[in-house]
Formats: sequence, C-alpha cells, structure tokens
Amino acid sequence: MNDLRRLASAFAVMLYSMLILIPIGLATQRLILVTGPNPYDWTKSLSENYISQNVLEFTLVQAVSSTLLTIIISLPIAWYLGRHRWPFESLIRTVLTLPFVIPSIIAAMGILTIVGPYGLDIRTNENTWWWTLIISHAWFNMALIIRFCEPLLSKLDPALEEQLRLLPHGRTRASRFKNLWVPLLLPSVVAAACMTFVFSFTSFALVRWITVRDNTLESVMAEVSSSAGIQGYMEPTSDIVMGASLIQFTILLTSLWLTSVIQRDRKAILPQARPEHVRKPNSPGWLVIVPALIFAVLPLISVVIGSFRIRDLGESGAGFRWGTDGWNQAYHGSFSFAPMSEAILNSLGYAAITILVALPLGYALASTINDLEKRSPNLARLLDVFTMLPFALSAAMVGLGVLLGIIKLDVSSAYQFWALPSLAHIMLTTPFVVRIMLPAIRSLDNSYDENARVLGMGEFSRFIKIKIPLLKGSIIISSIFVIAMSLGEFGASFIVAKNSDWTTMPLLIDAWRAKPMKDPLSAPASNAVATVLMLITMGLFMFAERFRNNRDGGMF
Amino acid sequence: MLDCEALTKTFDKTLFKNLDIHLGPGEILAVLGPSGCGKSTLLRCICGLESLDSGTIRMNEIDITNFEAEDRGIGLIFQRPVLYPHLSVSGNLSLASKSGHEEALEEVGLSGFEGRAVENLSGGEGQRVALARALLAEPDVLLLDEPFSALDSDLSVRLLKDVRQLLKKRKCPAILVTHNQQEAEMFSDRILEMSD
Amino acid sequence: MATHRPDLGNASGGSEMRNTNKNEKSPKIANMVIVILLLTIPLSGCVGDTENDRELVIVTYDVYALTDEVIEEFENETGISVTILKLNDAGSILDYLIQHQGREDVDLAIGMDNNFLGTAIEFDLLAESDVNQVGIRNDALGPYSGPLATPFDMGYVCLNYDTEQVDGENLTVPTSLWNLTEEEWRGKVALPSPVTSSPGRAFMLATLDYFDWEDGNDEFTSWWTAMKDNDVIITSGWSEAYETHYTGGYGEWTEGYIGDAHITVSYCHSPGVESWYNENWTKSASLDLPKTSFLQVEYAAAVNGGNIETASEFINYLISPEVNSLMPTENLMYSVLEGQDLPEENGYLLNSVIPQQPSQISMNDISENIELWLEEWNSAMTSGE
Repeated sequence: MNDLRRLASAFAVMLYSMLILIPIGLATQRLILVTGPNPYDWTKSLSENYISQNVLEFTLVQAVSSTLLTIIISLPIAWYLGRHRWPFESLIRTVLTLPFVIPSIIAAMGILTIVGPYGLDIRTNENTWWWTLIISHAWFNMALIIRFCEPLLSKLDPALEEQLRLLPHGRTRASRFKNLWVPLLLPSVVAAACMTFVFSFTSFALVRWITVRDNTLESVMAEVSSSAGIQGYMEPTSDIVMGASLIQFTILLTSLWLTSVIQRDRKAILPQARPEHVRKPNSPGWLVIVPALIFAVLPLISVVIGSFRIRDLGESGAGFRWGTDGWNQAYHGSFSFAPMSEAILNSLGYAAITILVALPLGYALASTINDLEKRSPNLARLLDVFTMLPFALSAAMVGLGVLLGIIKLDVSSAYQFWALPSLAHIMLTTPFVVRIMLPAIRSLDNSYDENARVLGMGEFSRFIKIKIPLLKGSIIISSIFVIAMSLGEFGASFIVAKNSDWTTMPLLIDAWRAKPMKDPLSAPASNAVATVLMLITMGLFMFAERFRNNRDGGMF
Repeated sequence: MLDCEALTKTFDKTLFKNLDIHLGPGEILAVLGPSGCGKSTLLRCICGLESLDSGTIRMNEIDITNFEAEDRGIGLIFQRPVLYPHLSVSGNLSLASKSGHEEALEEVGLSGFEGRAVENLSGGEGQRVALARALLAEPDVLLLDEPFSALDSDLSVRLLKDVRQLLKKRKCPAILVTHNQQEAEMFSDRILEMSD
Repeated sequence: MATHRPDLGNASGGSEMRNTNKNEKSPKIANMVIVILLLTIPLSGCVGDTENDRELVIVTYDVYALTDEVIEEFENETGISVTILKLNDAGSILDYLIQHQGREDVDLAIGMDNNFLGTAIEFDLLAESDVNQVGIRNDALGPYSGPLATPFDMGYVCLNYDTEQVDGENLTVPTSLWNLTEEEWRGKVALPSPVTSSPGRAFMLATLDYFDWEDGNDEFTSWWTAMKDNDVIITSGWSEAYETHYTGGYGEWTEGYIGDAHITVSYCHSPGVESWYNENWTKSASLDLPKTSFLQVEYAAAVNGGNIETASEFINYLISPEVNSLMPTENLMYSVLEGQDLPEENGYLLNSVIPQQPSQISMNDISENIELWLEEWNSAMTSGE
C-alpha cells in the first residue's frame, strides 16, 4: 500500500472517529454534568418520571409483537413469491419491498388517513391504536423478511425437496417442513427478525402519530430533547435522556451482535438452480400475493388521496370536498410554515452534503478494512465493528448528540450553521455505505489491479479508471440509499432542526399535521408535501433496483 | 416386482411411447441412451416426481400409477449426491431411518463417517452416503440417474462395482440410467436401449 | 455487478472494461443527479438568510392572535420583516430560550404566561423593552408589572364540562374535586400536563391552593395520585385535551377526534367562545367551584440579546387598541386593555363566567417553588407503580 493511500485511510478513520465521538462525547459530558455519572440513577429515573414510566415495557412489547406479526405476514408472501412463477414478477417484488424505503413520516400520514374519522374511523381507543401500530410496523418491515428469504426459496435446487419426498422422513409436508424448510430458512428469518426488532424498537414517527399518548424510548427522548442538558432546569429530562439512551444502546448493540453472529453461521453453501427451473406455474398463491400487494400500496394511495380531500365544515362539518387547496397552502406556506419549495430545497441540500461526505468516507473506510484484512485481521475486525457503531445509536440519540454536543461547543456560531442536520445524516448513513461497499470491494478481483499495474498505470489512474467503474453498481446503490435516507430522515432532524427556521420535507409534513385540527387545510397540506417526498423516494428506489442483483441477500 | 406398461410421455417431442418395463425380483436393468432422449424423465415418471401422459405402473401387483411420489416406496439417486448441508452424515441417514447407520455406512465402505460434515466429502464419498441413505429406506425399487457420470473414471468403476454388489446382496431391484455403454454392461443384468 | 475472472495474457481484460460501457447511460444520469444536488447547496444556504436591518424573529407556539393578517399589517406599517419560530407549547418556549441563551437571533417571545415567566426572569432570559403600558388594566398587571414582559391577553383557567353528558343521570356535576376521583369519572377526565402546557400548569397551581398547600398537608399529592388511579388522561397540550378528547367542544368536527373525556381544563370563557361560533348555542359549561380556577396572563417579552427595538415595536402593536381589542374574537382571550370586554353577540359574553373565587398564588411563591411542585406532581403521578 503506498503512502498516499495510507494517508487517505488514516484521514478517513480519524474523520469518522471525530464525527461520531465528538458530538456524542460532548453531549454525554454535558448530560452527566446534570445527571451525575451513575447509570443506575439514570435508568431508575425512567420509572420515576411520569412521562417515561412504562416506556421501556411499551417499547419492548410493541417491538416483539411487531416482529412476530411481521414474520407471520411475510413468510407466506416470501414462500409464494419465491416458489412460484409470477407475471410481472420483478414489479411485484418491487412493490412488496417498497414500504421499507418509504420515510416513516409518510407512512404515518397515510395510515392515519386510513384509520381516522374519515377513513375506517377505528381510532377510538387504546386497543385500536396499538394494533394499528403493530400492523404498521409489519407493513414496513415485511420487505426485510421477503428480501432475506425469497432468494433462498427461488434459487434452491429442487432436487433437495424431491429427494426428501422419496425418503421416509420426508413423506409428509410437515416432515419436509421440519427437516428441510425450517433449517434452511431459520438463519435468514432470525436475521431479518432481529433487524425488524431493531426498526420497530426505534420507531418514532409512527409511534408519535398513531398512538395518542404512548411513548417508546425513542419518542420520549425526542419529546423531552428540548429541555435536556441544562443545569437547574428540568433536570429529570436529562436523566430520562441518559437512561433511555443507555438502555436503547445496549439492546440495539445486542441485536446487532446477534445478527452478525447469525450471518456468519449462514456460510453453508446451498445448491442453487436457476429460478425458471425451480418455479411451478399457476398457484392459489394469488390469494396471498394480491392482498399483500394491496396492503403494501394502500397507505401510499391514501396519502395522495388525503392531499386532495378537504374537510368541509359547511353543513354539519361531517362532509368533505375535493380540491387542491391543500396543495396551494403547502406550496405558498405562511408565516409559520415554510413554503414547500424551501423545504424541498433544504432537504436536497442536506442530502447533497450528506452524500458528499458519507460516500467517500464510507468508501475509504471499507477500503481500509479490506486492506487491513490481509495484514492484521484483528485490527480489521475492530475497525469493522467501529464503523457499525452508529447502528446501535438511534436517530434520536444521534440528534441529541448533535444538538447538545455542538451547542456546548459554541452556541451562537455553531447553531447558525445551516448544515448542522447533515452532520446527523452523515453519522446515520456512513455505516450503510460501508456495509454496501465492503462486500463489493472484497469481491474485486485483484488481477484487474495487477494487470493495470503491469501496464504502467499509476495508483490514482487505476483508482479512477478501474476501481470506480468496477464498483459502479455498489456506488450507485449506496448513493441512492444515502440520498433517500437523508431526504426521509425524521428522528434526528426533529431534534436538531425543529427549533430553527430551517425545515426539511419530513419536518414540514409533521408541522402541518401538528397544527391544531380546526384548520381543515392542515391535513391536506401535510399530505401534499408527503406525496412529493413519496414520489421522489419511489423514483430513487426504482432507479436503484436496476442495479440490484437478487442475491441471497441481506438488506441490500 | 415392477411392471410398467404402455408408458407414454410427450414434452415438446415424444420422449417415449408405449414403453414396457418389467423388473423381476433382484434384477438390475440399465436404460441406455444419449443425452436428452428422456431417460431421466422416464425415471422421474416411474418414481412419481413427474406425471405420465398414459400407461400403468404396478409394484408387486399393486397399481401405483396414481400414487404420490411419497407413497410409492421407490428410491432415487440423483446425478450429484443430494445431501443436506445443515445435517451431518448421520443426520442425512436419519432421514431414512433413525437406526442402523453403522451397518449402512459399513456396507458402503464408509465406516466411522457418522459425524462428518457433508461439505467435506468428496464426490464419491457423497454418492456412497446417498446410496447408504437410499438403501436404509428399504425401497421396493431403487432408481439411479447417472450417478457415476460426475466422477472420474477410476472412482466410478470402483463405486459402480461396489454398488452392484450391494444391490445384489440385498436383492434390491434397480434401474440405472446412463449414456455410457460400458457402465451399462458392467452394472446391469439387462439393457434397454432408448433413442431419440 | 458480476465480475468474471479475466484470462490474464489475452485481451479479455479489455473486453471486461467494454462491458461496463453498457451501463454508462445510467451512471451519467446519476452523475447529473449528483451535480444538481451539489448546486442546491449554495442555493439552500441562501434561503432563510436575508440580510436586513429591520428584522424581527418571534418565538411562540400556536397563539391564534398571530394570524397572517395581523403579521402582514405589522410588516406593512413598519417595514420590519417578521419570521415566526413555532414551537409546541409554552413550555417549549422556555426550553428554547434556556437552551439558546447567548444566541442572538431571536428577538421576541410571545406566549409565556405568568406561570412560566418567573423562571424566564430567573434565568435572565429577557430584556427590558420600550413599551408604553398605559391603558392596561390592573388585574392584567397583577401578577407582574415590570419592564421585562408585557401582558397582551388574559383569561381564567378552569374546568369545563359537557352538559349533555354531565346531566345528572350519567354523570353528576362535581361539587368537589374529589368527585372526579370516583368510579363514574374513570377515564373521562382530560387534563393538560403542567410540565408543558400553560393552562395545565395554571390548573395544577389552582389545585395546590384548593388543597391548601401552605398548610403543609399532602392532600395535593393524594388527589393527583387518586386521579391517576382513576385513569385520568394527561395530554401534553391544551389543544390535544380539548380537541381530541373533550366531547363538549368543537372537537368532533376535527380529524383525530376520540371523544372520551367529558370534563377538561380550558377557560371560563370557553363556553362563550363555543356559543359565539355556534350561533348562540353550546353544550359546554364552566365549572365554577371555589379555588379551582386560576388567572392566566400571557406575555410578550423581548429576549435578552435580541433586537429590542423591533421587539418593542411589535409589543406596542400587540397592545394597541386596534389589535388588542380583537383579542376576544381573534385570539379567544380577554383583552388586557381597560374598558374592553367580550362581545355580546351570539351569547359570547353571556356564556362566559368570571369565577367567584379563583385560586391565588403569588408569582414569587410560584417562582420559588415551581420545580418542587412539578416534582411532587410527578411523584404523585408515578407512585404506587
């Protein structure tokens, strides 16, 4: 490795460390000044505060329930999708995995429209909110199970099943299930379940909008964020933040560790065949796939419909009319609401900065890990885990880190820095870039590079002319992922940007909806902005799908 | 005793028409023909993995034409050993029978292989395990779909001989499908030729 | 992307390169997208940043008085350009000012009331503004009359109940706060949190006086604990309690309505507001029990470090007769000016009650004890778990 590369690697690692450790470190220091250093005190205060009582219990129960429901709903879908031939198959697959990439605030708006008084009108008591929340999480996360399991099912050599049918302990469907399908699918299902658990656990937008008074650890942190970290003022909120962060970090870290252990054990190479040979045509699976498709698309459609439907207070206030007033309102804004164009511009700006930093940084980190793997695998392992750290930080924790940490540095100049939310976005997306690029870099055939060296190409030209083109697919997928995540990011932005006059699309959606309900235009305006964000996200996603191999994959 | 009468199957082209096959007790038949002429399909139809257009199959006087593959009592050895990677050798054998592993492995010359991981076996060893497993299931008839073609010739000759010996010892009737004349002659009592 | 093993020594390395050209179109689009994004950075940075001498940044929550028309007229009259930073509730304003102490670009805080003001003054967050307070009624200046904050509206916080539900059969009109801890009221009372909501805090202070906190007894905490055990609904703000939960108000015409509470905290003149909107009819009534109501005065205050000049101009505008006389109709609160009252049309004045015996706690006492009281409230709400 030549010096320039060493320098770049060192710089990348240093920059990344600073990006993560400085805000979090400063924030923690500031909070500990208020709360004291005893972790026991922090967690104890969670149960001693009215706002945060039962929060841990609620978070755990809903996360576990969501995971179970997701598995129950998605396994049949993955089964039928993978085992049978379908017309428009890649479109079906795209639609079914679409929910996962839709920003959670949009999902919240759509689902609210469906269950609210002008939809099914079932939002009347705690039971219905709870079930709506669980179902929403299942809606979101079914893509995970499908992505993890369907390739396995569609590419498995049929001989494995046929052979089993001819053996005594494979004669019944149940015995085949037990002896073949369960062992085969279990690692993927468990890995997907862990990720589902993590996403449901840290859910914020959905909890905020679908439940009326319940809080998860994440949402309670976001709600109290504005009064945390100040000595002599609302000190319990600092305790809540520290306690919730600690618990959340521990649980997330454990889930992630579990997932990586399971991924490692999945090394059994399964005999594969081409899908055309595997699938049988024509099946009653339509009964599963069609409802699944409707389920996937319903909230999205309701967002669009909701943007044109305006409550009409005319006769008795119970009707509604159709019009573009909501769009108009969102477009023009008012004194307290930024016009939609400003929010779009801001969101795009943040996304641009995020990708300018996260992409090269993530690439450099992945490259460094790859280089280290040959020379000192332990160091490589360490760096690998270190880059994954932000995964165990939820969006709210990152947002709080940025808010409290940077403010501590310098209130006036730091807070006026328009790009501050980008810092949070960079922290949240860089690990994903590493996760996507690392396998791609690993699988790069060294002979390309060696060949080029022999032909006399220098380090830099090799990088530009050989490495980058070969990695094009992964680079594009990471870029799109980073952009989509940044555009749709809600939790961290809620904390960092909400108290400033810079708004993003998700925040504008939230702000419009939070306007007291007397105004009949607040919901349509909110849905209008949500529709725009949704279309942008869908566009990005469809574009990325073209580069995606249907590998026996993880999330990407 | 296996009696197949008037077996007919068409798939794009006619694979076989009005074919009769009779297997006496302990008899080994080879079906010889070039690649793509439908030999594999014939086996798959006999064991029930695919359906016939017409014809009847009787096993020991019982008409099994419409039985599911699971219920026919016919075993099949595939071209490549189909072993389950999440199970050890013993685990794979358990799919046929929970007991008798020691003897079964001894019969195929793999004593002591119970605990081995499947991915570490060579091609020949894998087929031996597949054979042990198939025999443990005590099938009425064993079908073999070119199981030796993936192995190199020394290995396949040795394995071929061992398999024939074992089948004869157990008086298990079998049908081998192959495109290799020599293989057919060395392995079977009778040869049935199929052509395009 | 699939990578094939090249055969070193022949030209297939080159052919691999050529294969990547097939995808060239798509990366070109990707490049364009990235370039466009890059261009938006300087543009977005510019938006929201206008260099203007005469600027006013107001931090507030959803104060109805600050309608677009009111702001626009101010801008036209004075040439000052106004930006509004909208937060959740009165508590958020205080949070914001404390977190951003030292920051210089917020000029005016509108919406803190007499229960939050003390803390703001204690933390030295406010600045003396140049406001002409002549013409403001005495009771508006009662809680605070200094130069750091100017009242712009007021009202009495008290309990409101739904007369259709509380009709003597299903539910009886409470004669004591302890009635609300009984079985018939289980899950039917909605109260905003004293931590975040100003009416909520006012009500909590009223209960402190109701239960004679000065005598040092613990009836206050017992009552709140009993309310918690009786499934009281605690919301973060007034609007959630009134719109989403309360059945006596306009909530059923809004989205998100749940309608499970028949009594809530609002203003003694809220039934008047309902009547005014509903053409002289309302089913909501104020509960005028002694010591269950509390005077709330809302303030506009210049922020320490901000532009005092423009802030003062806005405050003067807010208490000018043209604007402030519209408080009852635009803001649904009493005006702070002498000689003003609620309009008579549609039963607004008729259905509004001035409580006989509101609770009284001095601003000093509040200032000194509020953190303690909030902690006690918190313990009361979490005890017995």
